[in-house]
Amino acid sequence: MTVHLGRRYTFCASHRLHSPALSEAENKALYGKCNNPFGHGHNYEVEVTVRGQVDPVTGRAVDLAALDSLVETQILAPFRFRNLNEEVPAFRSEVPTTENLASEVLRRLQSAWTAEFGAVARLEKVRIWETDRNICEIDI
Amino acid sequence: MVISKKVEFSASHICRSPQLSDEENERAYGAASNPLGHGHNYVVEVAIEGEPDPVTGMILDLKHLKDILEARVLSIYDHRLLNREVQAFESIVPTVENIAIDIWNRLETRIDPTGRAKLHSVRVHETSELWVEYRGSK
Repeated sequence: MTVHLGRRYTFCASHRLHSPALSEAENKALYGKCNNPFGHGHNYEVEVTVRGQVDPVTGRAVDLAALDSLVETQILAPFRFRNLNEEVPAFRSEVPTTENLASEVLRRLQSAWTAEFGAVARLEKVRIWETDRNICEIDI
Repeated sequence: MVISKKVEFSASHICRSPQLSDEENERAYGAASNPLGHGHNYVVEVAIEGEPDPVTGMILDLKHLKDILEARVLSIYDHRLLNREVQAFESIVPTVENIAIDIWNRLETRIDPTGRAKLHSVRVHETSELWVEYRGSK
């Protein structure tokens, strides 16, 4: 039987929304307070949705310890209490908006997914809350 | 169109399979394998699919849904030890995956005898950090 399992994680990080392709005035107009040169931060929440078959013996669709460990290694450890612009290589060239952050989270999970889970448990969706009111999700 | 209703129950469970060794149970379930059990405040979201009745404007009478949830799920699950007191879990481990499937099985044929409204999904939140959704065997 196929089920969809959602697991939610949290990390705190700082960022600044500023595009080198835009002028100072354009950046300020587009990103507003998020363009503050000193940066600012959020308590981010990340929900990873997995699709899998329920194992008849364990009753589990995915090894939760393995999922937690993969997310810790790929996402939480590199992002937690970091300045995303300065300390995550992807955001040296991309603006760390919620959209780009969701894409980066997805890339990082996919890069390690098959080695850990094969085709047994499929990564189905990534959803990121920057705040309670600002959410981005990517369906795979 | 899909409408959903949320209900809660509190229950205890033990995540251990008799087919696994102590080490394998510890590996599969971690702290949840404690043989003395532990519990959660579960939140269940039941989603119903259908078109609104032209007269009532409703897909399903939500009072009817509430009564079914009470009779078929809450009165059986709430403040119970799931392993011992819910029939499905005499032979399978009451993981949140199996709880979502059992609740689906308890509701599917009871939602609307006329078949106009159908069960769409059952999502069970075990904690604020873990949920499982079952959409039937389709």
